[in-house]
Amino acid sequence: MTKILLACSAGMSTSLLVTNMQEEAKARGLDAEIWAVAQDKAESDMEKADVLLIGPQMRFMKRKYEKVAKDVGIPLDVIDAQAYGRVDGKAVIDHALNLIESK
Amino acid sequence: MNNSKFMDLLERILMPIAEKLNNNRYLTALRDGFLVALPLIIFGSIFVVIANFPFLDQMISEEAFAAYQEALGPASDATLTIMGAFVIVGIGYKFIANQGGEGIYGGVVALAAFLILTPQVVEDVEGGIPISALGAEGLFVGIITAFLASTLYQYFVNKDLTIKMPAGVPDAVSRSFSALFPVSLTLTLFLVIRIIFEFTPFETVQNFIYTVLQEPLTALGGGLPATIIAVLMIQLFWFFGLHGQIIVNSVLDPIWYTLNNQNLEAFQAGTELPNIVTKQFIDTFIVGIGGSGMTLAVIIGIFLIGRSRQLKQVGRVGAPAGIFNVNEPIIFGLPIILNPLVIVPWLLAPVVVAVVTYYAMFFGLVPRPAGIIVPWTTPPLLSGFLATGNAWQGAVMQVVSMVIVFMIWWPFLKVMDKQYYEQEKEEDNSSSASSNGTES
Repeated sequence: MTKILLACSAGMSTSLLVTNMQEEAKARGLDAEIWAVAQDKAESDMEKADVLLIGPQMRFMKRKYEKVAKDVGIPLDVIDAQAYGRVDGKAVIDHALNLIESK
Repeated sequence: MNNSKFMDLLERILMPIAEKLNNNRYLTALRDGFLVALPLIIFGSIFVVIANFPFLDQMISEEAFAAYQEALGPASDATLTIMGAFVIVGIGYKFIANQGGEGIYGGVVALAAFLILTPQVVEDVEGGIPISALGAEGLFVGIITAFLASTLYQYFVNKDLTIKMPAGVPDAVSRSFSALFPVSLTLTLFLVIRIIFEFTPFETVQNFIYTVLQEPLTALGGGLPATIIAVLMIQLFWFFGLHGQIIVNSVLDPIWYTLNNQNLEAFQAGTELPNIVTKQFIDTFIVGIGGSGMTLAVIIGIFLIGRSRQLKQVGRVGAPAGIFNVNEPIIFGLPIILNPLVIVPWLLAPVVVAVVTYYAMFFGLVPRPAGIIVPWTTPPLLSGFLATGNAWQGAVMQVVSMVIVFMIWWPFLKVMDKQYYEQEKEEDNSSSASSNGTES
């Protein structure tokens, strides 16, 4: 199962994206667990995830998360601003899968 | 060219500021500390709202209304009114836990240190702690004490000034002793601080911090100029796609919450509300009308004048979340970020609304925020009504603000829509041309 973790300030706007990503995963027949958390929970939840995607408005958290991500051994990236604006579940799932694959 | 160079430069300045402010360990603990207190604050706020239901005082007798309010009083007195106590525990806990220490000791040592500094006399009767000390008056002392006490505690823990238990003693038992020395040393120091201050003209630390730090800072933060600067900073950060609200809040929340609780105390006592700018002035009347930049009015504008498919799509995606003040789809989708076309309304509209709201409250057209903390996801109109202590004028103020935002955005939205629309028409033409087999 693919586990995708999203993080933003309060986990609100990323949770919009989660709904669309879950629909996309279902349509593809992809067995995936996708969830969004607030910034202070991201570090502890990374252990349970295969990849971390950060909302672009919180991209200044990337450096901090990178250290933990390295320890846990998962890739991370900032979500593309355009895809974020469109709440584009498809593009973000592709982004997540690419990150996991090219790890 | 120069334009984009200037943008690059600004981004290079703002990004490290955002990173530093958001990841600073003191500010992180401060933000987390307020988050710990937030459920209690909102619980208390709900009961202030219920205790002050509109028209109730006219429907039942005066005694019945007084009894009703008295019965509900403890709910907010035990939470919202003494929010300082929970913020202190939260900061102490999180500050130590974030460093990998035992958070709970950080929390209790912070609270105990604060109580040691607090005058334990209420109206000449010994053995009581004034509620006001745990509310607005004590918030700054509380925050400073929480950091100082938990830092000292952790310092003594790291120094290994602990009693070593022989092997075989259960872990929990030795842990309970391991906190003994650091806690005792920390609290002794605070007792000394208290005694020293008794010999100064300030008499208490509370007095000292209140006079030299809290009063000047809240006076500054409660003024219109500082508020405009704060609002502009929020907008500017967001223009670069950085979460301006969380960055600015982490610095200004102590001031805004203090101003808020001063109003709450006055509201509960039935006296005149001292402040206009409070936590809720920002959260409900500036940000809480669709999110930072008050974009709900922009969404309405899109539905009213939008011809372009792209714009209408942005409106459809953004509307449901926008009602609950989540507006990333608009900020990134319209887009607002790095879009020179919208920088004028983006920066201008919230400032105009801040000024208009400020003076509407200054002249008493709209009641001042009553100190009730409304969750930031509460839809506008309802939030304005609740934040002003169940006053319809609060909701009307938000409608007026939406009209202001709409008018400021109107010409810019028109231009944007036209650009997108013509682009789409061109694309349609070329795609239908190519599908007819004619190479373009």
